[in-house]
Amino acid sequence: MWQCDYLPFELTSASHQYRFLTREGFHNKSAAVKDHHVVLSNVLAELSRRQLPSGGWAALRSSAQASLEPTCLATLATGSEDSDTRRRAQDFLLRVQNPNGSWPAFFGDDQDGVWVTSLAVIALRDVVSAIPARLRGIGWLLECVGRESTWLWKWKFRTVDRRVRFDPDKFGWPWIPDTVSWVVPTAFAILALSQLPCSCGSLEGIPIRIDHGIEMLIDRACPGGGWNSGNGVVYGSALAPHPDDTAVALLALGNRTQDPVVQASVEWLEHTAVTLTAPWSLAWAILALAAHGRAIESLISSLFALPDLSGNDDTCTLALVCLAADHCRALAALGVNL
Amino acid sequence: MILSRRNFLVGSAALAAGASVSVPLFLPKYHLVRRAKRSRVAILNVERYSQGIDQVLASGLRLFPIDVQDKTVVLKPNLVDYIPGNAINTHPILVLAAAESFRRMGAKCVIVAEGPGHQRDTELVLSQSGYRESLREEEIRFVDLNRDELMRTQLRASYMGMKSLWLPRTVLEADFLVSMPKIKAHHWAGVTLSMKNMLGVVPGSRYGWPKNILHWKGIQESILDVCATIPVHFVIADGIVAMEGNGPLNGTARTLGKIVLADDPVAADTTCARLMGFEPDRVVHIREGAKFLGNLSPVLIDQVGEIPQPPMTPFQVVPEFGHLYAL
Repeated sequence: MWQCDYLPFELTSASHQYRFLTREGFHNKSAAVKDHHVVLSNVLAELSRRQLPSGGWAALRSSAQASLEPTCLATLATGSEDSDTRRRAQDFLLRVQNPNGSWPAFFGDDQDGVWVTSLAVIALRDVVSAIPARLRGIGWLLECVGRESTWLWKWKFRTVDRRVRFDPDKFGWPWIPDTVSWVVPTAFAILALSQLPCSCGSLEGIPIRIDHGIEMLIDRACPGGGWNSGNGVVYGSALAPHPDDTAVALLALGNRTQDPVVQASVEWLEHTAVTLTAPWSLAWAILALAAHGRAIESLISSLFALPDLSGNDDTCTLALVCLAADHCRALAALGVNL
Repeated sequence: MILSRRNFLVGSAALAAGASVSVPLFLPKYHLVRRAKRSRVAILNVERYSQGIDQVLASGLRLFPIDVQDKTVVLKPNLVDYIPGNAINTHPILVLAAAESFRRMGAKCVIVAEGPGHQRDTELVLSQSGYRESLREEEIRFVDLNRDELMRTQLRASYMGMKSLWLPRTVLEADFLVSMPKIKAHHWAGVTLSMKNMLGVVPGSRYGWPKNILHWKGIQESILDVCATIPVHFVIADGIVAMEGNGPLNGTARTLGKIVLADDPVAADTTCARLMGFEPDRVVHIREGAKFLGNLSPVLIDQVGEIPQPPMTPFQVVPEFGHLYAL
């Protein structure tokens, strides 16, 4: 799982040429790898320890309520091993799917379905027996649209309600039904739908939804690059981007590298990532920058140097740390081509 | 005139139909009255954020008959996002001072809990706004309400038209809940004070970031339903440096030099609104909240210490809320 990062040579992002390490550099790197390996083992062990008897994971260490976001991220983080942990997690995901094809935010939630449906579709990607469930989930995603996609709300946002700057013709996915589109659910839906090898029959709407979603992401970017939840400008004031939202959007825009908005956002994220001390944002930044061909080795070192990673209360963060460490496989699982 | 049986039945049916449509319009939308007979508010003058706040706050709290002995106290600050230089969040020094005071008053445990509305990375907000280290040093537990265990909760008012919300266990099980807002103008709600601060308990993991369902159901209506459902036992409002203009994120810092304490969120927000130069009863959720959540009328509020005086220059607000200004 380490081969992408820790070959005894470096791929310099600027020149795309291999540069062999000196003996000293190799030893330093080996020591770092060993340290990282210890930290990662601890994080993985903690993640495994937090799995609930139901097979899911709770969002916080203190909780016993299985929640879908941590379960999906932990399922991806537990790797490609055919482990009992992973199988139980996948069984849990299949068991809690709603009758309408969506997934709930947590076990026991109402059955309308929410944004984590995209994550569940991604987390079940390698499970042959889950194909029907994934197709039902994709069907739900195709039906689920931001409220601004209807003519009445388009009219409202064009005429009466212009306090937030956005183009209502460009819509994606909401966090929950009957609300407007936001950046993170749209990015995850694009990643989930992009994983399908074909778009025939009832799935023929996929390419157009993906295109709309991509246009929406580009439209909602902050003026200087990057994204927050989806409010770039409010009352004429530019709002600041967030590292994690920016990273998730960039993962969904992995094949739009030439777009000026994407380029500005990658620059912003690369500049910001070195200042981050919160593991969740830093891990997302590592994944996105890796997807866009930027150097991430020092960021991984920074991530593993953060204190008490395995003691982090937030289970999603633990899973993200594992995914960032194993970013080649993580990006493949997310359907992002390097 | 002879009333035929047919006309009588048609008339009765029409009357019943009319009543079924119109009666709900006149019935109150709240299902319980939490308003106390009298409320108490104290305004403390504090020039800057410094260690001395501990003592000022402790002596301010002594003005109230607070009993937190062996109780779980939850402090709910306003942590939205972090933008360098912007007075967005309740200052950590004030939150730490409150935690220390309640511990000394015998609380079984003090928890700081919040679910930031804009930023998914709660740890990043905590770190950037100076909370993370302070909470760790003082061994104060923090709960991310965006990701806490959730319980379906019947709403005790029906302004939004929703019957229930999924709300965090930590807040629902608190023995003594303290709303600790930052005094700010707000571009959707007019003001964000102790009542608006309670929207932070609505979990992002279920409703998204921002908590968009509340915008669709109406901000003022959401505030009323959430405050009806989750009782606020005490308010400590941070107005040392407040925000005017395009709040809650991009407004301008405004030095007010006040901390407002109250045993009633409506009375607290009434006082804060006056300190901002607004007529409290022009803020929809304060006016409506005064029917069942607390007191707005000055005759029902025992003002301890300083009497709230409107500022020489009222707080700026976005044009939609120009009607808030006192005449």
